[in-house]
Amino acid sequence: MKKNTWVNLGFQVGALVLALLITTLILVAAGAPPLKAYLSILSGAFGSTRNVVAVLITWSPLLLTTAGVLITFAAGLWNIGMEGQMTLGAIFATGMLRLFEHAALPPALIIILGILAGILGGAIWAALAGALKTFGGVNEIFGGLGLNFVATALTIYLVFGPWKRPGVGSMSGTQPFDQALWLPTLPGTELSIWSLVISVLVIALVYLLLRGTHFGLRLKAVGKNSKAAFLMGVPTWQYSMFAFLLCGAFAGLAGGIQVMGIYHRLLPNISNGYGFLGLLVAMLINYQALWAAPIAFLFAALNTGSVQLQIIYKLDSSFAGVLQDLLVLLVLLGEGARQRFIKKN
Amino acid sequence: MRKNVMTFALLAMALVMVLSACGPTPTPVTQAPATPPPATQPPATQPPAPTATQPPAPAATAAPFVFGMLLVGPHNDQGWSQATYDGGQYVEQKIAGSKMLYLENVYSGSPAYPGQTASQLAAQLVSQGAKLVFFNSDDMKDEALKFAQANPNIYVVGVSDDWTWKDGKNYTVSANQFDVMGRMEYMKMVAGCAAALTTQTGKIGFLGPLINDETRRLAASAFLGAKYCWTNVLKKDAANLTFTVTWIGFWFNIPGVTSDPSQVADNFYNTGYDVVISGIDTTEALVQAEKAKQAGKAVWALAYDYKSNCGVAPDICLGVPYFNWGPAYLSIVKTAVDGSWTQGFQWNAPDWTNINNPDTSAVGFNKGNGLSADNSTKLDAFIAELAGGLNLWKGPLNLQDKSVYLADGAAATDLQIWYLPQLLEGMQGDSVAK
Amino acid sequence: MNVELKDIYKTFGAVRANVAINLTIPAGTIQGILGENGAGKSTLMKILSGFFRADKGQILLEGQPVIIQSPADAIKHGIGMLHQDPLDFPPMRVIDDFILGRKGNLPMGQAEAVQDFKKLAEQFSFSLDPETYVDSLTVGERQQLEILRLIWLGARVLIFDEPTTGISAAQKEKLFAALRLLASQGKAVLFVSHKLEDVEGLCSSVAVLRQGVLVGEAKPPYVTKQLVEMMFGKAISVGARNPCGVEKEIVSLSKLSVEDYRLKVRDVSLTVHCGEVIGLAGMEGSGQGLFLRAVGGMTRTVGGKILIDGRDLTGRSYQTFKAHDVAFLPAARLEEGLVPGLNLTEHFILAEEPKGFFINWEKGRLLAQRRISEFNVRGTPANTVESLSGGNQQRALLALLREQLDLLLLEHPTRGLDIESTIYIWSKLKLRCKQGMSIFFVSSDLEEILQYSDRVMVFFSGKVTPPIEAATLTTEKLGELIGGKGWPTKPGEQVSESTSGKGA
Repeated sequence: MKKNTWVNLGFQVGALVLALLITTLILVAAGAPPLKAYLSILSGAFGSTRNVVAVLITWSPLLLTTAGVLITFAAGLWNIGMEGQMTLGAIFATGMLRLFEHAALPPALIIILGILAGILGGAIWAALAGALKTFGGVNEIFGGLGLNFVATALTIYLVFGPWKRPGVGSMSGTQPFDQALWLPTLPGTELSIWSLVISVLVIALVYLLLRGTHFGLRLKAVGKNSKAAFLMGVPTWQYSMFAFLLCGAFAGLAGGIQVMGIYHRLLPNISNGYGFLGLLVAMLINYQALWAAPIAFLFAALNTGSVQLQIIYKLDSSFAGVLQDLLVLLVLLGEGARQRFIKKN
Repeated sequence: MRKNVMTFALLAMALVMVLSACGPTPTPVTQAPATPPPATQPPATQPPAPTATQPPAPAATAAPFVFGMLLVGPHNDQGWSQATYDGGQYVEQKIAGSKMLYLENVYSGSPAYPGQTASQLAAQLVSQGAKLVFFNSDDMKDEALKFAQANPNIYVVGVSDDWTWKDGKNYTVSANQFDVMGRMEYMKMVAGCAAALTTQTGKIGFLGPLINDETRRLAASAFLGAKYCWTNVLKKDAANLTFTVTWIGFWFNIPGVTSDPSQVADNFYNTGYDVVISGIDTTEALVQAEKAKQAGKAVWALAYDYKSNCGVAPDICLGVPYFNWGPAYLSIVKTAVDGSWTQGFQWNAPDWTNINNPDTSAVGFNKGNGLSADNSTKLDAFIAELAGGLNLWKGPLNLQDKSVYLADGAAATDLQIWYLPQLLEGMQGDSVAK
Repeated sequence: MNVELKDIYKTFGAVRANVAINLTIPAGTIQGILGENGAGKSTLMKILSGFFRADKGQILLEGQPVIIQSPADAIKHGIGMLHQDPLDFPPMRVIDDFILGRKGNLPMGQAEAVQDFKKLAEQFSFSLDPETYVDSLTVGERQQLEILRLIWLGARVLIFDEPTTGISAAQKEKLFAALRLLASQGKAVLFVSHKLEDVEGLCSSVAVLRQGVLVGEAKPPYVTKQLVEMMFGKAISVGARNPCGVEKEIVSLSKLSVEDYRLKVRDVSLTVHCGEVIGLAGMEGSGQGLFLRAVGGMTRTVGGKILIDGRDLTGRSYQTFKAHDVAFLPAARLEEGLVPGLNLTEHFILAEEPKGFFINWEKGRLLAQRRISEFNVRGTPANTVESLSGGNQQRALLALLREQLDLLLLEHPTRGLDIESTIYIWSKLKLRCKQGMSIFFVSSDLEEILQYSDRVMVFFSGKVTPPIEAATLTTEKLGELIGGKGWPTKPGEQVSESTSGKGA
């Protein structure tokens, strides 16, 4: 047992070191002094209050999508459709705000309604993927991808069509909401304490759910062996469906926060790739909810901090993405190597 | 098990500490007004500048003046973004010790910066020492204003915006902001004229970006130029001239989101349109024209934005109406450096003595190899007419829905042109998004 | 050396591990100590070797009572024990381990010890290199080293606790040869095992323990059945018929028809009483599996009725059947029965009706612990199921069944298991039958069908016999039916016919 822990750690650290090494080579090839480049990422992420705030802004939705991935993965499902679920959350939240924008309701109530609508939108979209899987036999990966495209198409239709800015036809987005309906943020920033608190609560909830509840245990049983779970009396498809719903709700919440807290309008690509990024985080932490918060934070910091590399060394803006993909790839490879190693011994 | 709980608790604690340490705590401003406070200062604690005429503190002249630029596309896109980037380089050359930083591909929902808005990215430039930030696109219009208001100690230039135009519809007091635009309308007229002189089929296509005030007035200008040269130079019947605008939805192609400009251009060339005027940031109209020409079609295109844009496909290029941002940027940055900054707005005209003078003309027109010598002469004559005071924005002009835009003999005001509500009668295509 | 145990008692809390045990082991014999796990064998041996003190009773060596207070005491008296799981093997050389534990005696040089070691090893034809490291040895080699060490220390009574676990067949042969040699040298050898085969092949006498009590002794030639009865007790004598004593109908099938894309099983009518075991025989894929799953609500029926405990559950889901105290244990244990990746505690929690929202892990662990020892599962609550052996997985599956069950459906309940596990599992099953549970089971083992069924139904490509009293069947007759011979040709005679292809 103890020996295994060290072996595991060894492989993980090895993968990280290798990722760092390759990144360093890339930096050298791009003509950036590696050490200074890493320092500039750090300062870009933590060098000022404003930068840390930017990291936290990215962290919040990433936590939500990671939480969603953890739930669906526990149920043995690859919810690739989180981008679409997030988009639908954004659409529903926007719709709700537009509906009540001129109503004589207290703004706080409208904001809450908007958030709830976002949750509902994401859940509905996930339920569609779940229904396709459960009743239509469509693999959730294909279903999710398809629904992602539909969600994008729907956004574009709304942005250029019924919800366009008066006199404008641009993918820059819909008419911004009245400022009273923006998610309250820390003065002068786009950081909503609410969104941060909710995200942290959600990831804590997921940790507890998977760690200490009958629901979580049964979900895991369904994920690892649905036939056995069925024979043990777990209503398997209902659990799969519920996992989809929960994941969709988290993604929808993230989408709602994107429109209400960050952009204050609906625009194409509102999901910003957070769904896929969440999948990467979940893979990197080997689906252990405990590590979601720090690793998502690391990703958020990388994303924010690496902007400095562009400014200083004129590196391509895809650098942070490459680094993240590399990290996940190597950790997965390391995991494979570890399992081979353990089998041999 | 217990170990895990402990680890979690420790992490949670660490997190709480990070959060509490980094939360923006209001710290009193102690800096002397002569030195701009560092960018990390929480903006909320800064009182907004009391009046529009009171500029932020001038930057210390001894240190190199750093300015930043947010580009909507790549800095080498041979179009809009490269033109503004060149403007920045012009400033670097003219002001000793000045230095430009930039970030590219900055637009709403850009996958390059997940979750980061233009104002956050501007802050990243500021953290590298930028004292002035150019927001180079209409897409960042709201962000520019938001950033300017949140960072009164940083100068903001809104390229193509109208926040600081006193007569404009959106005038806002924002002491540290300056908006600038070139009068591209003239050069679009020239482009329209070149198209009308060249077309064999009488069908001109306009490859439009998104629909807004700016793009409507530019498309309309191209139409006015085309109509004038068609009827007055070629003496042909206006009824035989077709001028169609097709919008793609954004300044450039975003796969899966906008219409594909290559397809739109192909569509023009395949349906009898033999000249396409590009209104987008990138070069698809030229590239597709070159392909169509190689397939045996007699087609031409007009480029846009960047002075050397014809280089993409010189033989079919009739010319390029382009922005020359250098002089305007230089004058604005200078006021920031020497402390004479005021909130302001410029809509800069060409230098009619030489529209291609890099030091004086805000917009220009470079002729392409595709333009015949005869047409070149006619075009020069048209440019001379414009320089001499020819005004095509003059009544009688109706809007697309046949409502009167300008009564007979009435000349359009700047306001009427800037905020053109629809395309003009005689143009085909959407005035507003469907 | 003659060993005598007199009236030994030992209790651990409420558990009576040894009760009034009297046993004599003459020098020069191999005494087998047989019993299922937890029968008290290890406790008795640990008393003899000084790990435990008996609550009461005497140990006599060569007729003289001795008091053994520690393992060191025991070795001083010439008693050495080889443990089931040799606890710790430090990274030391074989020869150092060999010398270790020799104290108080003459200081001796290593060269001398090596010489002794080589001599002893040769005597037992063990090929052990004294210079290699202990942690590089196999379990069998470690045993050999331990034997040599104990002999060298002067042991004249040697206790072997489950020594055949985890060693190869060749090593087992070598071990048995060594044990016989030890006996021939006049030493007393105690061989503790739960494996009938090993005991029968080796021991000159066998003592059987059950629940702490020495229930009997036997001498060769051994009768396996007798040993099994002693081990598990007469009360659960395997094959007892209709033991629940009440005439209660658990299952009633009337004209049940079921089909898949390949097979049609038609019009099966059957009434099963509580405690009855129905064996379903047939070549793999003859319809018995389909039928079994239909009775559990896992395959849709196309006609007829299923009544469980008097309630019509025709066409209802497995979940409904389960709610009516029907359970199904699949043949593919890891594929369908258990959840790889989850541990035993998690399985026990899953199998129980969830109470509340949060899991009470402590309670779950205790439940797991209780059931694990109750069902003799070799494993801890924290073991994942895939780390268990096949027999232990099957025991775990049984242990997972809820306490209240009317009907248990089994697919190949003992496939791939050794005879001990098979006997154990059936003893547990029969115990539950006695409490009123009925069983349907599919098996391709004719002996198993005949031995454990009350009635047998034979399937042949969808055709099915009416239930036949197992007592009237022989292996030959059953074999013929399974092979399609001896089926009546006219419908409605001895065997109900099910049509394949045509309607009924």
